[in-house]
Amino acid sequence: MVNNIFAALIFLQEAGAEQAAGPFAAMKEGVKHPDLSKFLVIAALLFIIGVAGVLTRRNIIVIFMSIELILNAANLNFIAMSRYLQQTGSANALAGQIFAVFVIVVAAAEAAIGLGIVIALYRNKETIWVDEIDLMKW
Amino acid sequence: MPLTSYESLFFWIFGIAAIFAGLLTVMARNAVHSALFLISSLVSVAALFVLSGAEFIAGVQILVYVGGVMVLFLFVIMLVNVGAEESGREEIFNKQRQVTTSLVFCFLLVLGVLYAVNKGSTVLLKQSQRSEESVAEQQAEQDARLKQGATGTSRITTDTERVGNSLYRYASLPFEIASILLLVAIIGSVMLARTLRQEASADDIDPEVLAAEAIHDPELKKLEAASQE
Repeated sequence: MVNNIFAALIFLQEAGAEQAAGPFAAMKEGVKHPDLSKFLVIAALLFIIGVAGVLTRRNIIVIFMSIELILNAANLNFIAMSRYLQQTGSANALAGQIFAVFVIVVAAAEAAIGLGIVIALYRNKETIWVDEIDLMKW
Repeated sequence: MPLTSYESLFFWIFGIAAIFAGLLTVMARNAVHSALFLISSLVSVAALFVLSGAEFIAGVQILVYVGGVMVLFLFVIMLVNVGAEESGREEIFNKQRQVTTSLVFCFLLVLGVLYAVNKGSTVLLKQSQRSEESVAEQQAEQDARLKQGATGTSRITTDTERVGNSLYRYASLPFEIASILLLVAIIGSVMLARTLRQEASADDIDPEVLAAEAIHDPELKKLEAASQE
């Protein structure tokens, strides 16, 4: 118990020592020299925006665009990780970039097929609102 | 090795531009505006790729996404343009309840992901920290060995060469599979987007459906007569 308290006190002291360089020193350093985590945060935000778009929009074409946004966020993750692995000197560091190429290929194929489906759907149902396409709902 | 000086400035500019363009993509009322905002988001992400040393992927992103996929999107938007959403007559989002639920869950997801990134990256960076300076030296040495550009002030990256090398060395089977996937996608999208008339002239339609539709369409009647002979 006493040991724990001492450990906590020492931890607090160290935290205070770190803060001596200025209240937001670590944050400033992060802004000045963005590293892997900043890439990942931007990718995560893009991903969430895409998910929100898929879940909330009614226009099926905009939903497809949100899916492209999601795939792009995944690509950004791959590239950032590839860069990090290159810096650590990993032998297979380029795997991320290769995977990004395949993601782009799949995204292109998905867009072509998806938009073909949208056109066929529009011809038959005369609507692109997803909440009006409820043929399989019971 | 984190980004430095001008790189970090451009990183923040393009990162924030990508996020805001993505937000506007989701929130724009007009689908054409959405497509244009998505293009600017994709270009910003391509700039981030350049900053992280993946020049080849950045070029592919611009060529394939902005040059190919987005043009396809714009074509389809023009084909199925309903016009009701621009004039504000139609609601662009789902019903209130669904939107609220999905936004709450998205918020939880973003919190979880950011927490995981925070936790994981501190560990990762701690692991790599000891070798940071030697890595920087190594990088500078490698950069000095690169071929010089035509102006003599910059050096030519070997990223494309290295990606091509490892693509054919380690991923040749997936590469072939991707080509078949693209072939299937081409055929599939042509099949899906055909009109009834095109289907009838290729004689790829149920005779009953054709007979039912031929009543409204004189051209189909001709095709029906031709197929029965």
